[in-house]
Amino acid sequence: MRYMLLIYSKEAEMEAMSEEEAGRIRAGHHAVMQETAARGIFRGAEPLKSTATATTVRVQNGRALITDGPFAETKEQLAGYYILDCEDLDEAIRWAEKIPTACKGGEGCVEIRPIIAIPQPTIATSQAGATSQPGKGGEA
Amino acid sequence: MQFLLLIYEDEKRFATGFDPGEMAEYQSFGKQHSQAIKGGNALQSTKTAATVRVRNGKSLVTDGPFAETKEQLGGFYLVEAKDLTEAKEMAAKIPGARFGSIEVRPIMTFS
Repeated sequence: MRYMLLIYSKEAEMEAMSEEEAGRIRAGHHAVMQETAARGIFRGAEPLKSTATATTVRVQNGRALITDGPFAETKEQLAGYYILDCEDLDEAIRWAEKIPTACKGGEGCVEIRPIIAIPQPTIATSQAGATSQPGKGGEA
Repeated sequence: MQFLLLIYEDEKRFATGFDPGEMAEYQSFGKQHSQAIKGGNALQSTKTAATVRVRNGKSLVTDGPFAETKEQLGGFYLVEAKDLTEAKEMAAKIPGARFGSIEVRPIMTFS
């Protein structure tokens, strides 16, 4: 089953981090990516720019209302994610434990969410291979 | 430039399943933006979430999402857009934008 691992960390600490710490965290991510890729379970990962760059869109009565900032103000902020194809939640937890959540004192956490498998019968290009190419097309 | 479009909605709406009409809208959104969409997924409800924290080398696992919020993360699209304006226009077309909110976040690129 595919799981989304959402990384929440304290942006203020991330920004104040020394180059050495940043390098250590990057190395931690590379290790997880390489190890999961070697096992054939890596399905994607992306780092996000800070919530200072976030925009939130709502549509009411057909009109888009756009506000600066993230959906919700939280103590820790969404910083990126992984998608891994794991046997079960226990395996996802073991990978989550290896993901660097930054920083001083190890603040931060990883939220694990199972992904819904949606069949895509109407998309001509997605046949048997669709499951090995997550999210290509009209999922959401 | 890539953006993550995070879909937040009251997940109680899906307690008895997905509305077929809305699913059809998602499919047509997917087709319309098939060039721009690099990935996307729907998530199971936050009831199935687990949160992992590592402190002093010890792992603490709790049930439930990272934070309790009025609306919950239910899915996302990873899209390519020429700028934030185009990403916002795409976000406004996601059916979930009518019921909840779409957070648009630029992807970080490392030089």
